[in-house]
Amino acid sequence: MIAALRTARNRELVNLVLVSLLVVTGFGAVFVARENAVESSSLSYAALFIALYLAAHVVLRLTLRNADPYLLPLAALLTAVGLIEIYRIDPELARDQGLWIVLGLVLFTAVVVAFRDVRRLEQLRYTCGVAAVILLAATAVLGTEVNGARLWIRAGGYQIQPGEFAKVLLVVFVAGYLRANREVLTHPARRLLGVGLPALRHLLPLLSMWGAALVLLVAVNDLGSSLLYFSILLAMVYLATGRWLYVGGGVAVFAVGALAAVQAAPHVQDRIDIWLDPWRTPQTTGYQIVQSLYSIADGGVFGTGFGRGFVLVGDRTVIPDAHTDFIFSVIATETGLAGAAGLLLVYLAFVYRGMKLASLADDGFTKLLAAGLSFALGFQAFVIVAGVTKLLPLTGITLPFVSYGGSSIVANFGLLALLLCVSNHVNRPAGT
Amino acid sequence: MVEQALLLARVAFVVLLYLFVWRVVRLSVRDVRAPQESLILSPEAARAAGFDLGEPPAAAADEPGELVVRDSPVFPVGTRVVLDDEVVFGRSEDCEVVLAADATVSARHARVFERGGARYLEDLGSTNGTFVNGVQLAAERQLRPGDTVQIGATELVYGRSGR
Repeated sequence: MIAALRTARNRELVNLVLVSLLVVTGFGAVFVARENAVESSSLSYAALFIALYLAAHVVLRLTLRNADPYLLPLAALLTAVGLIEIYRIDPELARDQGLWIVLGLVLFTAVVVAFRDVRRLEQLRYTCGVAAVILLAATAVLGTEVNGARLWIRAGGYQIQPGEFAKVLLVVFVAGYLRANREVLTHPARRLLGVGLPALRHLLPLLSMWGAALVLLVAVNDLGSSLLYFSILLAMVYLATGRWLYVGGGVAVFAVGALAAVQAAPHVQDRIDIWLDPWRTPQTTGYQIVQSLYSIADGGVFGTGFGRGFVLVGDRTVIPDAHTDFIFSVIATETGLAGAAGLLLVYLAFVYRGMKLASLADDGFTKLLAAGLSFALGFQAFVIVAGVTKLLPLTGITLPFVSYGGSSIVANFGLLALLLCVSNHVNRPAGT
Repeated sequence: MVEQALLLARVAFVVLLYLFVWRVVRLSVRDVRAPQESLILSPEAARAAGFDLGEPPAAAADEPGELVVRDSPVFPVGTRVVLDDEVVFGRSEDCEVVLAADATVSARHARVFERGGARYLEDLGSTNGTFVNGVQLAAERQLRPGDTVQIGATELVYGRSGR
């Protein structure tokens, strides 16, 4: 009887209840701490949030009964921590974020229903590849420049960041392409200078993706996304072939490209100068990163508590873009080292679940898809957290699931849905 | 009063966060500790631990195995393929066994290799698959005398040479 209740979906529900308690605690704390600034009706955003994730849970109960019971709660936890801090910065932004989660849930349901058998996606690999390139090209041509990088397309009062969607599509394309060409890339027929090299026609799609990532770097000035795409490609090629040659070659090409970008684009050079010494210009270009470091230091080990950190001056945030790129610094202020490290552990757990799926998957496409998607999410989190803590030059990408932003939330819901489809396929009972 | 409530919320938040992380970690630890069956045991250790490995492969060792063509559009029936350390089957010129005339064979289709005195067959990601006794290979598989291997339209029977 007890064993019969321990299904994947029931476990998931228990985990979601835990996340719900966390949301209630966080919203309650912010509300109590900022009683004079926050209206009580805004507490309903917490209820909306919980209802949305329960809806996602019901979708999974109906469609993917054997899907991994940890992925959805892990994503819910990340979204919850983000939502609490966004709510703390500005309750209206939290309401908008709630709407993005609704849209994300729509995409989530669509993907789960359409690709229950995730192998069907393999036939769409070229469609996905072309769509990714079109999205990126559209950004380069139609995009508007914000803070020196051209990441956004404005449409009817809203801004869309196509790069976030391109990331997921790219992983699908690369997984399909590598599955078809793994053999010729791993055991090449020709040798050049004692090194096995595959024929150009097999390498061409790979080289053109690398080229596209470099063009993106120079044309759009988007160091972060470029680094992200490049790393996804390298990681997946290495996973598929096990050959360091491609990794070494890729890193060399990227280094040359990055050097060229530094020469060509003053924006990139500025970013690097700021990274090396933000205290030289603490009131102007270095302001954002200096404030971020002060905020993180201010949090100490256990933080100031929700609503009590030095986050707002009047109506403005102390760190510009605190609700998007710099949300990690705000979380570190208010929950301290304990909370920030806990958040990173949650990312680690998410990537672990994804890699575990990849190791269990029985065909090359789903293996590469699961590994690629979880790598993309984990690496994106690494790049932005490294940026705001001044480990790497700052690049404007979002902290997945946590940052405020419609494109980011919706695209990552798509990523989550694909991973769940893979896990349902992997965990299916034997003989079906 | 308010301060106590906020302190409580702070503690509760961190406790809940780590409780959640712990739930995932506990599961992961279980994954790592799960018995790996005989994959990491030597054949002797596995047999001592009571795993049934079938007939000991040691008996099959040392003699170079061979594959005999039973049906093929490329080779005459009865052609013997003597298996050394590694033999690759495929359409490409650099394969040990070139099946260039068969369009259903991939450039590098499958390989047979020796490990620990036994011979294994592995598909190299071919388009149309490699079959042993009519079953498509998902992973590498040890060959046993009498096994029928199908690569494209070519069928071969595995046996030990000298018999």
